[in-house]
Amino acid sequence: MARVLIIEDDRVTADEICAELQRYGLDTDWVGDGATGLERARGGFYDAITLDRMLPGMDGLTVVTRLREYGVQTPVLMISALSDADERVRGLRAGGDDYLTKPFNPDEMAARIEVLLRRHANVSRPMALRVGDLQLDLIDRTARRGEVLLDLLPTEFRLLEFLMRHSGRVLTRTMIFEAVWGYHFDPGTNVIEVHIGRLRRKLDPPEREPLIHTVRGVGYVLEAR
Amino acid sequence: MKLGELSRISTVRLLPVYGVLFVLWSVLLIGWVQYDTKRYLSGVVDEILRQRVHYLSHIDRERLPEAMAQTDALDLRGVMLYGLFDPQGNKITGNIEHIPEGVSLDGVVHAVPGGIQRIGAPEPVNARGLAKQVEGGDVLILARATSVLDQVNTIIFRSLLWGLTLTIIPGLIGGLWLARGPLRRIRAIETAAQPIMRGDLHQRLPVTGRRDELDMLAGIVNSMLEEIERLMSEVKGVCDSIAHDLRTPLTRLRSQLHRMHREASDSAHASVVEQAILDVDSLLDRFRALLRISELEDMHRRAGFTEVHLAGTLDHVREIYTPLAEDKHITFSFEIAPNTPTVRGDPNLLLEAVSNIVDNAIKFTPAGGSIHLRLLPDADAGARIDVIDSGPGIQNSEREAVLQRFYRGTCSNKDVSGSGLGLSIVAAIVKLHGFKLQIVDNPAGGAWLALMCGPARTGAT
Repeated sequence: MARVLIIEDDRVTADEICAELQRYGLDTDWVGDGATGLERARGGFYDAITLDRMLPGMDGLTVVTRLREYGVQTPVLMISALSDADERVRGLRAGGDDYLTKPFNPDEMAARIEVLLRRHANVSRPMALRVGDLQLDLIDRTARRGEVLLDLLPTEFRLLEFLMRHSGRVLTRTMIFEAVWGYHFDPGTNVIEVHIGRLRRKLDPPEREPLIHTVRGVGYVLEAR
Repeated sequence: MKLGELSRISTVRLLPVYGVLFVLWSVLLIGWVQYDTKRYLSGVVDEILRQRVHYLSHIDRERLPEAMAQTDALDLRGVMLYGLFDPQGNKITGNIEHIPEGVSLDGVVHAVPGGIQRIGAPEPVNARGLAKQVEGGDVLILARATSVLDQVNTIIFRSLLWGLTLTIIPGLIGGLWLARGPLRRIRAIETAAQPIMRGDLHQRLPVTGRRDELDMLAGIVNSMLEEIERLMSEVKGVCDSIAHDLRTPLTRLRSQLHRMHREASDSAHASVVEQAILDVDSLLDRFRALLRISELEDMHRRAGFTEVHLAGTLDHVREIYTPLAEDKHITFSFEIAPNTPTVRGDPNLLLEAVSNIVDNAIKFTPAGGSIHLRLLPDADAGARIDVIDSGPGIQNSEREAVLQRFYRGTCSNKDVSGSGLGLSIVAAIVKLHGFKLQIVDNPAGGAWLALMCGPARTGAT
């Protein structure tokens, strides 16, 4: 079972994170300050870390910088009340793998941790992705459902690739927007819904088992059920 | 410094008034001096004449012509005029030919009305004189030319003219020179006020410490700014903390509803909970947007700014929004002028701004309508982005208001969802960049928003 270290000085937030991650079947450990957090992250074998940006003593940026200096490559999700674009860049440059603004949606946080765990697990870049009878060739940039070649626009291909790389994981609309277009803001519910809708029409013809599933109020998941 | 500007300064405006008053007062003063001098000199002349007459009246009739000739001999400057005439008016002796007209034989000194013609002189001269009947009915005329008086008058008049010229010209120049000081300070105040007018309430007007009227005024404005800033930050603080404080319980409420939804036994129950989750989500979205605006308004650093190719930004907008427009059967057309210069900005925020405008256009344009997105070079701003739709448009009266928080057009479709915060976010981003968002009159009726991607010129609307 994957273990996640939660470095967070606010007890209530920490409880929320722990509860949500446990719900996803993850083991959680909580520490309340930066120095202890750094020590535990170095010594313990964690699969992922959630790190608060503002901590008493040693702040989150220092923790992640030191951690990377020590050669620890555990994926880190930075969580911060500072949502300024500059802050985000600073957090990612220091060695954070992802950045989330407080107060956050617990589903979103969990979804991001899941993606980090997965990304860390298979660092290798496959040449093809496969989910059920859906196959994506990353060299030819073609997609097939069974024998049928899918006619996808470049955006749709990128969207499908992202969904397939994280198949079985719930992906929120901001995560999708960030990954497919590279912008960091909430584009509103409609945008991602419409794009997913189009992809779905091409991917899931009526006679086939649908692959893209909506998780109401959270996001989307691609899997063969 | 232009003369036109200088002429509007109050000191300069007062200069002519002071000048006229000064001239009037000088004329009055000189006039009085002249009057008084003339009176005094006339008195002296009269006294001389009276003395001479007194002397002559004690001389025998026979010796009178001789004595009078002596008078003439004593008069080196030739100002004395005299004559002795018989009762018929024939000249007996003297340096005048006739009895001057209009003299009365009263023995009192008068100004001679028409002047007196001296024998051999080219023209009559102004004079004061007296006429008296002596023994035997002969008429004695004794007069003195007042040319000295006239000379004194001329001297006084010239000195008046010179005095005025020498005072008024340096006065005017000095006045204009002095007016430059205040004008320069007004300039400094104007420069300092520019950022304040753009909404940067941290700025203050310069105070020189001279405690003059400009300092007093700047001081008053500064205390006003202080108070406005305090009130603004209070209001903002309250807004922010409400949004912040409410978000945490709402987030918890949401996760609880989420749990209930998972554990719901029957579908009716589940759909009620689902609706509740959607409502909480829309609330959270609104708070997020509010905090986002607040965050954008607080942002002063422009560290994230780079040269942005707007064509690329618009390409992304096209990619993101074309499916939405197509789903609503709206024609989404593009026009990207080549060679549009890059602008300095945050690519992420600029995309967010254009996305919000386009999102709005899609929301308000009915099915079958059209939206035109274009990028053009602009002489003033460098580049401009136009978003023109065929929706209901924005009424003149609502143009200011649509950029304010929570404002939704009065004629807007009630089915259109939205927090009314989209354009406020755009406004905040535009302000952060120093750009300008204009609502253009669209003869075709729809809304036409123009984003001027360059430094906003002051005074332009």
